[in-house]
Amino acid sequence: MSSLFSNAPAFAAPEKPRLRVGFVPLTDCAPLVVAHTRQLGQRYGLELELVRQSSWAAVRDKLISGELDAAHTLYGLVYGVELGIGGPQADMAVLMTLNQNGQAITVSNPLASLLKSGRSLRQIVDTASKPLMFAQTFPTGTHAMWLYSWLAREGIDPMREIRSVVIAPPEMTDAMASGLLDGFCAGEPWNAKAEAEGVGRTLLATSEIWPDHPEKVLACRRDFAALYPNTAKALIATMLDACQWLDNPDHRRDCAQTLAQPEYVGCPVSLITPRFLGDYGALAQPPGIRFFGDGTVNYPKVADGAWFVQQYQRWGLLNRSEVDPETVALQVNQTALYAEVATCKGISAPL
Amino acid sequence: MLRILLVTDTAKPIGELREILLQQGYDVLTDVASSTALLGSVERQRPDVVIIDTESPSRDTLEQLSVMNALAPRPVVMFTHDSDQQLIRAAVGAGVTTYVVDGLDADKLSPIIEVAMVRFAEDDKLRQRLAKVEQQLADRKLIDRAKGLLMDKRGMTEAAAFEMLRTQAMKQGVTLAEMARQIIAMADLLG
Repeated sequence: MSSLFSNAPAFAAPEKPRLRVGFVPLTDCAPLVVAHTRQLGQRYGLELELVRQSSWAAVRDKLISGELDAAHTLYGLVYGVELGIGGPQADMAVLMTLNQNGQAITVSNPLASLLKSGRSLRQIVDTASKPLMFAQTFPTGTHAMWLYSWLAREGIDPMREIRSVVIAPPEMTDAMASGLLDGFCAGEPWNAKAEAEGVGRTLLATSEIWPDHPEKVLACRRDFAALYPNTAKALIATMLDACQWLDNPDHRRDCAQTLAQPEYVGCPVSLITPRFLGDYGALAQPPGIRFFGDGTVNYPKVADGAWFVQQYQRWGLLNRSEVDPETVALQVNQTALYAEVATCKGISAPL
Repeated sequence: MLRILLVTDTAKPIGELREILLQQGYDVLTDVASSTALLGSVERQRPDVVIIDTESPSRDTLEQLSVMNALAPRPVVMFTHDSDQQLIRAAVGAGVTTYVVDGLDADKLSPIIEVAMVRFAEDDKLRQRLAKVEQQLADRKLIDRAKGLLMDKRGMTEAAAFEMLRTQAMKQGVTLAEMARQIIAMADLLG
């Protein structure tokens, strides 16, 4: 066995060897599930306890209260908490990006037919008897921002011309079938489920709005990263190994079986596997979900963090004009910690 | 009267709060058990307070309403400067999150949170506090009624009525509630 560990870079022993790490049941929680089931933390002296969370609000509260040490988190949630938008404020840290792409916008069958008949969304909104209703997953989250960006691109003001609500992702299909929703933006497998059950069509993957957009991050409180730097580094190293493992399609097929289990995503494997492997069926193959790509996925770019702050300013969720997006992102994104780990592991980090 | 909505979409028996809240005179709306139903109820019935399990998958629905609409229930700020911080922390520890309409008086909120907290607390000590909380609620009602009587019959402002209650209670060495009880009895007697 020793040969397996012979190339393990020297990492200082973590100050806190047992960590509680939160995840939300989505296909892109895969790196955490892989790290846990394959015990990838062992070589860095880490033992991970995975704790499934049923809402992003719970992830936020538990990160703040310390009940969770770290979590698989919407990029935007971290910045929403950092800025105290619509909830408690806490100083947060992004340790690394866990994945790019892999989300989608689904529209109801009636809206899909209208669009197919050649009418633009702008024309449909203009002639609708009541505002169209779109769901996403968290007010400051990534899905809200992808949805708003897409609507704006279609010439629609998402703050005034449509209604934006949050529905728990596993309920999206039923909410759409009941006629409540005209569309939603969420992670997989929930778009695949709506299409498989025939209640809606995947209109576009979010990677068609922003190819290789950052999506979920590994987040913790800033004081956690400051107090336990070796733990944070060991966790980053563990997740990098998990992300790298997922770059192999056979590994992904294998992982999909695990994700399907009720303790993880709890969804038929047939709904998870195709899009996990980048197969979007009828859609012209958009850039699929990425976890590693020689580390190009994982560096916590300051520009990415700043983008979310700019979006909050753009949509009026943040009215403090003195907030400088880049300054905020420089505090939140732990680029130095990440770069140390990446260098140790021989992964190139754009500095 | 405060309108309270209970979200019953997890194993935690939030619905069992209904009876006790009704007994205490709150207006308890029809329970909801999904984020979709929650959305509908908040929009149509405008509850003042929503009580929900911390593990409920419907919590994010409330978060969005809070950000997009000033009239929607807002999350109780759990981790900032708040006189009830300890209470709210304990409530969260007991698995209960409370969302309230912005600007709702903290005074009115804490008994509701406390009832919810005691109901779900594992801690026996907390359970024993239930009786005390119920007493405090009853006392508050007595005091409000006595204040009302003084305002009515003596043409006093609310502040002056409360001040008089307080001074009299101190003079006689009794609790505010006891003083209120005496005033109400007196008013009943004198008609």
